[in-house]
Amino acid sequence: MPSRWAETAEDAAEDARRKAEKEEKKRLKAEKQRRAEEAQKVAQQSNGHGEDEDDTQRPAKRRRLSEDGGKDVPVEAARTLLRFETPGWQPCRSVERFDLLNHIEEGSYGFVSRAREEATGDIVAVKKLKLDPARDGGFPVTALREIQCLNAAKHRHVVDLREVVTGQGAAKEDVYLVMEFVEHDLKTLQEDMDEPFVPSEVKTLLLQLGSAMEFLHDHWILHRDLKTSNILMNNRGEIKIADFGMARHCGDPPPNNLTLLVVTLWYRSPELLLGATTYDSTVDMWSLGCIFGELLTKQPLLQGKNEVDQLSKIFELCGIPSEDNWPGFKRLPNARTLRLPSQSKSAQGSIVRSKFSTLTNAGVSLLNGLLSLNPAQRPSAKEMLEHSYFREDPRPKPTAMFPTFPSKAGQEKRRRQATPNAPVRGGAAPALGEIDYSSIFKGREAEEKGGGFQLKLV
Amino acid sequence: MARTYADSGLSHLTNSLASPIQLETSNSRLDGVPKDLETSIHYETARLLQAAGILLRLPQELVAQSIVVLYRFWVGPDGGSLVEHDSTEQDVAAASLYLCAKPSAHAISPSQTLTVFHYLSRIRPEYSTTAKQDNPSENIDWHLSEGDLEIARNRLYKVESTILRVLGFQTHVALPYSLCINYLQTLDASSSTAGSAVAKRAFAHLNVALFSPQMLYLTYQPSAIATAAIYLAARETDISLPETEWWEVFDVDREDLGFLVVALRSVEGFAEDEQRKWGQRKVPLTVDELRAELERRTMLENGE
Repeated sequence: MPSRWAETAEDAAEDARRKAEKEEKKRLKAEKQRRAEEAQKVAQQSNGHGEDEDDTQRPAKRRRLSEDGGKDVPVEAARTLLRFETPGWQPCRSVERFDLLNHIEEGSYGFVSRAREEATGDIVAVKKLKLDPARDGGFPVTALREIQCLNAAKHRHVVDLREVVTGQGAAKEDVYLVMEFVEHDLKTLQEDMDEPFVPSEVKTLLLQLGSAMEFLHDHWILHRDLKTSNILMNNRGEIKIADFGMARHCGDPPPNNLTLLVVTLWYRSPELLLGATTYDSTVDMWSLGCIFGELLTKQPLLQGKNEVDQLSKIFELCGIPSEDNWPGFKRLPNARTLRLPSQSKSAQGSIVRSKFSTLTNAGVSLLNGLLSLNPAQRPSAKEMLEHSYFREDPRPKPTAMFPTFPSKAGQEKRRRQATPNAPVRGGAAPALGEIDYSSIFKGREAEEKGGGFQLKLV
Repeated sequence: MARTYADSGLSHLTNSLASPIQLETSNSRLDGVPKDLETSIHYETARLLQAAGILLRLPQELVAQSIVVLYRFWVGPDGGSLVEHDSTEQDVAAASLYLCAKPSAHAISPSQTLTVFHYLSRIRPEYSTTAKQDNPSENIDWHLSEGDLEIARNRLYKVESTILRVLGFQTHVALPYSLCINYLQTLDASSSTAGSAVAKRAFAHLNVALFSPQMLYLTYQPSAIATAAIYLAARETDISLPETEWWEVFDVDREDLGFLVVALRSVEGFAEDEQRKWGQRKVPLTVDELRAELERRTMLENGE
């Protein structure tokens, strides 16, 4: 017999012992039953009918398992089994159940409005999807992924998708996502603040972001479009990650045909810029690094004008990649056109330290880690949460202590965003190897280098 | 039995289940389709979908997911009716497969989907020989003209959006396959020499369960289905499992296990019955065919 549960000599001995026990048990049981029957007979005789007989003779439903035989074993308590409480499904409700209040924002994906649910009076955000079956091949895959990811990602720091509703009558093909309403997004909020967030606030924001990313990555979801305008904050200092239009499920090892058209340029990682079609959760961690820098200064960290400029800004800040600090980067499709300055001429370290002079050493180490050129060197969300930066003074500020701000989304139309938009699906993807990065370090060879890497002043 | 889970992040292991009201009746039956005919149509459509999945070389997980979506679409008074909509069951199966493949790593194009379903509709109901061949049979015209394709494509998009609406976008399906492997490892049954045999049998039962008229994937969680498949597979391959109530480790109680084992074993007989009942006759998959079948039945009843 092949399995671990197969019979061996010991098993045989054990079996014999068990058999003996069983016999003994049987005997005792028979004895007990005989006594019971006798008792019953007596009872029957006393009240004159025997209909209960069936009940007493039926064996106990649960098979007895305990083996301390002989003695009268008390019936085992039912073991607790995990029970899954799952929701069912029902057809989409109609959007008519909601009163639209005011317009919040329009993006490439659709229109967002503030609305009140008639039945409950709850204020929600309603996002009407732009649908064009002929163009998108039916229901757009981005919206499908957004709905699936949001349904799978119920977390305190991920925006809550309450339900999906449809239009009525002639407009029944319209689809709306009903989400919890959150007052601010970090982008607009920062634009209106005079000073950047203080260090204790930055830590709280990062911790919340980190816990959301840990949850998402644990559930095999890549967000792929993290940026401050997609991070919402309510008046209680709580952060909610939103806009999962770029998100998708992934596995380990990651699929090898992922699209490059992800992540808004300023938050896009160097491996994506270099054309890697296999990437993983580390692209989100790079975006988190960019957001960390932005929270400290109130300014987006790396504002490239195009792919080439973006990559050059990254190398200015984080240093120049080499086979030592990023093995294999030269094999990425777009790296072929890259002409790196020769090793000897310049010190190629990161200038994060000098750029963020007021940041503590632990803070610099975390930022440097998130902005590692080599994706493998970036900390995971879980590692980030355990970083010593969060344990040193000043401690993260409790969310309840956050200042409150007037909500733009609450009443007024938002200012147009200055951030470039997320890449559009189906748009012209730069063909691999097509982007010409040869100009990045043009003239650099000739430059006289001082002690360290200098920030080029344009 | 008190321990429950709320939003503890187990969603990737659990499914939405049909409510008692949904199981009680369906839109089709309210529209006058007898239960046995409905069951036959469900089974036939699911078979069609499975065959298409094989021809399109899609992973079985995707096919399974689409079959579950298909059954979700049909149950309940608010579900899709076999009589009502102006599309055929073939469209519904195609849309379900197309919809499930779309966000996955194995997306298929509308024309791929439609061509395969068109081809299958020509050779229905005998799929088994085709599924094994590499090249579709030459003497069957399976080409769709550009015009037909355009019309079919629009219908596909329309049915897709109907499915999404009826399901309230609940297309998440947790499947028991990986759980099953995991459980076999836990039981230490997969490492042995007979391990692959038992795993194969268990997987076969999981696939078969998709076609059960009892709609097991709509009434039981994947953990329970996986456990029952292992129990049955171990019996069939003579693998010894622990002599304790090991299924409780996987949170399945004896009663559910017993029911599922019986249900799994009954599918074979069900399939044979269906084959016998229909023979070479086609199960009606369009509204017109369905009407004709209903008429035929009335006539038979009246003894003509």
